[in-house]
Amino acid sequence: MPPGAPLTWYLGLSAVVFAIGTVGVLVRRNIIVIFMAIELMLNAVNLTFVAFARSLGSMDGQVIVFFVMTVAAAEAAVGLAIILALFRNRETTNADELVTLRWIVLLPAAGVFFHVFLGRRAIAAVKVVGPGLVGAAFAVAVVAAFRLRALPEGGILRDHVYTWIAAGPFRADAVLRLDALSAVMALVVTGVGFLIHVYSVGYMSGDRGFARYFAYLNLFTTAMLILVLADNLVLLFVGWEGVGLCSYLLIGFWYEKPENAAAGKKAFLVNRIGDAGFLLGLFVLVWTLGRHGFWTLDVAEIERHLDVLRTATIGGWPVPVVVGLLLFMGATGKSAQLPLYVWLPDAMAGPTPVSALIHAATMVTAGVYMIARLHALYALAPAALTVVAVVGAATALFAAVIATAQTDIKRVLAYSTVSQLGYMFLGLGVGATGAAVFHLVTHAFFKALLFLGAGSVIHGLGGEQDMQRMGGLRERMPVTFWTMAAAGLAIAGVPPLAGFFSKDEIVSSAFREMPVLGVVGLVAAALTAYYTGRLLCLTFLGRSRLSHEAEHHVHESPPVMTLPLAILAVGAVAGGFLPVPALLGHRGEAGAPLALMALATGLAVGGLWLAYQLHVVHPAVPAQVAARLGGFYQLVRDKFRVDELYDAVVIRPLFAAADVAARGIDPKLIDGTVNGTGMLVAATSGVWRRLQTGNVQHYALFFLLGALALLGYYVGR
Amino acid sequence: MDATQSLRYFGPELVLTAAIMAVLALDLGLTARGIERSRWPGIVALAGAAAAIGSAVRLLRVPAREWLFGRMLVFDGFSVYFKVLLGLALLAAVWMSLGSREVRGQPNEGEYFTLLLSSGLAMLLMAAAANLLMAYLSLEFASLTSYVLTGFLRHNRRSAEAALKYLIYGGVASGAMIYGMSWIFGLTGSMDYAGIAAGIAQLDDPSRGAFFLALVLVLAGFGYKVASVPFHMWAPDVYTGAPIPVTAFLAVGSKAAGFAMLLRFFHFGVGAAGPVGAVTRVPLLQLGTLLCAATMTLGNLAALSQQNMKRLLAYSSIAHAGYALLGFVVFADAGVQAVLFYLTVYYIMNLGAFWVVMLIANATGHEDLPSYRGLAWRGGALPALALAIFLFSLAGLPPLAGFVGKFYVFGAGVERGLIALVVVGVLNSVVSLYYYVRVVKTMFLDEPRAEDAPVHFALNDLAAVGLLSAATLVLGIRFDWLLARVETARRIFAG
Repeated sequence: MPPGAPLTWYLGLSAVVFAIGTVGVLVRRNIIVIFMAIELMLNAVNLTFVAFARSLGSMDGQVIVFFVMTVAAAEAAVGLAIILALFRNRETTNADELVTLRWIVLLPAAGVFFHVFLGRRAIAAVKVVGPGLVGAAFAVAVVAAFRLRALPEGGILRDHVYTWIAAGPFRADAVLRLDALSAVMALVVTGVGFLIHVYSVGYMSGDRGFARYFAYLNLFTTAMLILVLADNLVLLFVGWEGVGLCSYLLIGFWYEKPENAAAGKKAFLVNRIGDAGFLLGLFVLVWTLGRHGFWTLDVAEIERHLDVLRTATIGGWPVPVVVGLLLFMGATGKSAQLPLYVWLPDAMAGPTPVSALIHAATMVTAGVYMIARLHALYALAPAALTVVAVVGAATALFAAVIATAQTDIKRVLAYSTVSQLGYMFLGLGVGATGAAVFHLVTHAFFKALLFLGAGSVIHGLGGEQDMQRMGGLRERMPVTFWTMAAAGLAIAGVPPLAGFFSKDEIVSSAFREMPVLGVVGLVAAALTAYYTGRLLCLTFLGRSRLSHEAEHHVHESPPVMTLPLAILAVGAVAGGFLPVPALLGHRGEAGAPLALMALATGLAVGGLWLAYQLHVVHPAVPAQVAARLGGFYQLVRDKFRVDELYDAVVIRPLFAAADVAARGIDPKLIDGTVNGTGMLVAATSGVWRRLQTGNVQHYALFFLLGALALLGYYVGR
Repeated sequence: MDATQSLRYFGPELVLTAAIMAVLALDLGLTARGIERSRWPGIVALAGAAAAIGSAVRLLRVPAREWLFGRMLVFDGFSVYFKVLLGLALLAAVWMSLGSREVRGQPNEGEYFTLLLSSGLAMLLMAAAANLLMAYLSLEFASLTSYVLTGFLRHNRRSAEAALKYLIYGGVASGAMIYGMSWIFGLTGSMDYAGIAAGIAQLDDPSRGAFFLALVLVLAGFGYKVASVPFHMWAPDVYTGAPIPVTAFLAVGSKAAGFAMLLRFFHFGVGAAGPVGAVTRVPLLQLGTLLCAATMTLGNLAALSQQNMKRLLAYSSIAHAGYALLGFVVFADAGVQAVLFYLTVYYIMNLGAFWVVMLIANATGHEDLPSYRGLAWRGGALPALALAIFLFSLAGLPPLAGFVGKFYVFGAGVERGLIALVVVGVLNSVVSLYYYVRVVKTMFLDEPRAEDAPVHFALNDLAAVGLLSAATLVLGIRFDWLLARVETARRIFAG
């Protein structure tokens, strides 16, 4: 202090310091800095006191400075203690649930951003980050699953991320939930997903869109994990739509080819039809519950209010049946069941690992998962369950028949997936939820393996997909052959491989509930064994039918591709011993009758034997059989011409209607309304704002504005 | 009066200090022996609060009016009246804490009761402070202990978050207030209220503008303490996050102490220099009118849509601060009298309401309105009845204490000619009826649903609630004795 400085000099200085402190409180984000700003305000106070005390010649002002400093220190100490308590809180009480679950979703999501923003410049990093993050998510899921196991049976881990929607009485929180069912699913999605990511590093090497591909793949995984871990149906729907979008992006990944883009579009549109049903189902559900005062779509809440749903009706129909059927409509779209299965075979257009991901670990299992998740609701609607079972069984048989006559290796597998999903729905429909999810898990192993193996073959042959131009690859691609053989035996249902146990449980449950469907299941099982055997024989056995250039090109795939195959093979062989149904608390279903097991085994071996006889020992016979069958064979070969039927009945009329809408209705009616509303909202927005924001800085601002307003009132009076 | 002589008039504070020491020592002893849970700290605290009230009641009969401790505190009927009221609030808070599941489940109960008693001691000092230094220190003392009490539920994020918000808001508010005080000191050259009143008379014209700025800042600081609009924003979050006994103590005790400071400073610090506006040309009347109307209206409107009972009562208590401010705006002895009467009545009915909310939270674990559905028909008839009495009284319905309180406040307003403000107040009472009755309707007219479990209340838990509801009923009919008390207490020592 210069000794002769005037009082105003100090007062001005202190006012400036006080203002800086105030601004600091209002604009800084870091809580420590806010405290420092408060200290700054108090120091300005001290300065005024000292300055006044000196000019007045009074000691009082200097005494109070000490007290103000003491209080300031106490305030800071208490503040830090509370902050510490807050942080410790975050780590102790909720930490287990808080930290782990959200990371399962966030890790792959982080990968998306990495690939989008940095990927193109750092391909090498993408190779590590893409699979690595999914692997890390798998690790987190494993830890969470162990923590779940430590809980008593029926325990649930929950992670409240934030309140997402709070609209009047309706509330949807972004809550992640891990129970036995979602834990199994999360492990499959991240585990199998991780292997597919690793494989993709080899398969996609050198592709121009490498980073874009991994961005989509990570996004796909993220969406599926949201779907699986969602605690309420609104969040589940977000994931549901997310996988739909990603499948569109990935199927049409090589969009330069028009048929690929068309396949992507087809997948998206067919899924939309199913999703419309799904959404309607959600609306009916929330409307019914809301009418009784429960504005919620939380799974746990729905299960708590089943009494309400049991008796409720809508338009004379019982609500559980209506909701069940509408949601199942969504499931037929997403999980490729009759009549909405048509997109899946075309989805082969994408890179082969994508097919593996869509068919095995993610997307198509969404419908199965959703119904398993809501099994309590479906239990109220036996009629809806019957529909599920019948559609499932019909799809299983229908797709298996088509698969026997396809020559494109991936197309065989595609119809095989449709057929196997039919099994899962059959299981759900006859009340064997545990068995259905069990089959989902084992199917994830062997179907991922079959697709990746097929990818390995295609890769080795330089892009060849037609089985009629393969053969004799056993010696040249030994790892691929043996792993695919394991997967083939597993899907055919040869004991003791994975598929045997899960499929048997479903079929035996079907026999208990609806014997007709059980017979259908057995027939489809025999067909499964046949077409799988046919695929293996045509590809790997017999004499080589390779084209000249493929003959030169053929080689075993690199370890980055074969290693995932080997790991998946272990799962395909031993997956049947996983205690999945017991984990889900459905112990009663296990144990098919011995006779049925023998019959199923006989059919599986018989189907494989027939395939070997027809395609290796007597390769001329199939052509003769086909000729004898004539028109029917053509029909099967052309996939029963369902696509053509849809084209004539649905697509053409739709385009005609769309034309009318685009020319007449849209520009005048819709645009006019939208623009008008927008103007109205823009004019009134900003008038209504919620004051109590919960942000303490807004409160502080309000405090100071209040003081200023009082002052302004005086000045402007 | 020097320090040793002052001690004669310092009984309640001394008793409380001794009780704080006793609880602290007891807690140390218990911890040393490894005893985690014990009833004793709470019982000692209860005894201490009761002894402090006894000591304060004895002082009620002392007619002296004195400076204490070298012009730091004063002794007068006004401060003693507040000391009795604050002592009762403290007693109630300790009693509530003893029966609160939220508090009893926590470790460090000894610490909790120490802090609660300290907070009470700070409020007693606030009521008697007649010096800027003492006012600031006692206000900060009360605030600091309140912050910690608010965040006492360590494993509850809401509690810690509320404490942090309270702390930041309180820090800014008291920072602004002390800045204003520094200017008052500079302009008048004095720290004690009598000196300030003398100093104001000598202010020259430009200084008066600066003085007004300082006054607004001080008013903001006090406004924060009584939770008046626009300085109320901390209250809903803090009331919701804190344990219920602390919430009740803040709503009743902290508010009363804030009013004691507000009245003393503005009536007998600034106001003692003469008719307020004439000397300082400060439009305190208009300012007060504005604050009062805004506080009543905003508090009631915001309470309309609340679903959480603590939050509903938080906004309701903001509205009640508005009614009490009406008495402050009157700026006369009649006004002070009305405020004292109102705060007393408010103490009874608001405390009772919080008490029932705590009992129900103990029984059901919930504080939201849906958990009150059909309460009367599933084992909670007595608490439901008590809560109905408190809520009707808060709304100001006739045969109850709240009506008398409002009557005197509005009456003082009419006498002063503040007709418009009184009309606003009456309209607000009508509005408030809606949300109070909604709770009553939920408890009595709504059918309990299957998921609403029956509740059980032990009779001795209901003792305090019964006492308070009886007081609400009696004070609605026989209030003359309280009026007489208030009459003697309103005369404030002006140095």
